[in-house]
Amino acid sequence: MSATATQPDSSYLLRKLHSFTGLLPVGAFLAEHFWSNSAALVSAEKYNATSEELQTIPFRLIVEWGGIFLPLLFHGGYGIYIWLRGKSNVSAYPWVGNWLYLAQRYTGIIAFAYIGWHLYTERWLTHGKSTYANVAEDMQNPWYLVFFIVGVLASSFHLGVGTWNFLCKWGLAATVKAQQAAGRFGAFVGVAFSVVGILIILSFRFDWHPFSAYLPTK
Amino acid sequence: MSETKQVMVKVKRQAGPKEAARWEEFSLKWRPSMNVIICLRDIAENPVTRDGKKTTPISYDSNCLEEICGSCAMLINGRARMACSALVDQLEQPIRIEPMSKFPLVRDLIVDRQFMFESLKRVKAWIPIDGTYHLGEGPRVSPEIQEKGYPLSNCITCGNCLEVCPQVNEHNQFVGAAIISQVRLFNMHPTGAMNKSERLSALMGPGGIQECANAQNCVHVCPKGIPLTESIAEVNRDAWKQALLGWLVG
Repeated sequence: MSATATQPDSSYLLRKLHSFTGLLPVGAFLAEHFWSNSAALVSAEKYNATSEELQTIPFRLIVEWGGIFLPLLFHGGYGIYIWLRGKSNVSAYPWVGNWLYLAQRYTGIIAFAYIGWHLYTERWLTHGKSTYANVAEDMQNPWYLVFFIVGVLASSFHLGVGTWNFLCKWGLAATVKAQQAAGRFGAFVGVAFSVVGILIILSFRFDWHPFSAYLPTK
Repeated sequence: MSETKQVMVKVKRQAGPKEAARWEEFSLKWRPSMNVIICLRDIAENPVTRDGKKTTPISYDSNCLEEICGSCAMLINGRARMACSALVDQLEQPIRIEPMSKFPLVRDLIVDRQFMFESLKRVKAWIPIDGTYHLGEGPRVSPEIQEKGYPLSNCITCGNCLEVCPQVNEHNQFVGAAIISQVRLFNMHPTGAMNKSERLSALMGPGGIQECANAQNCVHVCPKGIPLTESIAEVNRDAWKQALLGWLVG
């Protein structure tokens, strides 16, 4: 409560870091992840080639830990701390922004739990050498399938709302009009990620490769 | 039914911060253009509950009766608003009247909003113009800034924006939208801008602007229609520029 403080408080910096890591690198990684996995929409071979390419990147452990795991852990962990310090009130004030505030917390925890499980099954158990066959086999389990769908939708929603929050909270969309536009952009991000994510799941589940026509004919 | 229209009112009463709360029901004679403050006055005139029990007049704050002093904010049918502009004919009955929940209770409908005034002091929500000698004329304020600043200057510190904010609660000392908007007002004024970095620094302390989580309830309940979400975004931009880029580019 010091009025003479000239340096920002650590809670300020952590909060900003939380907001920033949500987009970079966590959101950016989700985009990369969906992009790479979209290879399954072409063919199983293409997916395996893409997967192998990623598995053999230089400095892999540093990139994985520094660029993905640690930022994700921080974003999720600090997010839970933020949740505990808020007190939702949608029943008294059922406005869209207030619902999004609440949904952002629930989708965050669902996505966090899903990602933990996803890392365990597709990264840990496969020793980082997951193949098309591994994932396709997991997708045959109806419980896995449902959890994949829920996880993809929660992550996409969280990123969409998070994009809107980021643009508002960093003052990049300040006026009412700009914030409405940012909201539409966030909705687009959420829907686009959901659609692509579900298509990838369907590809694995039904061995469906809608872009196989891109392959050269033999 | 009787020939005179009645108004049903339920008031949450509490003799003091440590006393137990209870509800009292009143049946009042309807009058044209009746608002919630008139209901409370009528009860004071004849403090008898609906079932005929004598009680005490209800303690409440109010002053201007035209939404300009900010003192009569309370929960009416569960929502934070000014009692003076809450018209009985537009409210569902029985009308439930409660004190705001995010400020310490004094008695009945009176709460202590000192937290807001302390926050205003903390962010230096004023323009220093006093000196030991004549400071001369200040810089002119452009019409553009006047136009932007005027709506912000309408803030009446009623506390509705804090009451509806999910981030204002017992775990969190968030200063709330009104205070952030005042920082914007005084930072945009050419003389006020001389203390801009001090205000921003104060807003980056515990309970500062970082606690806003963009639920945007504040802007829905502001009785003065202040663009609070715009203020928060603008001040946020100035704040992170100062905090994160200040050491790089000054």
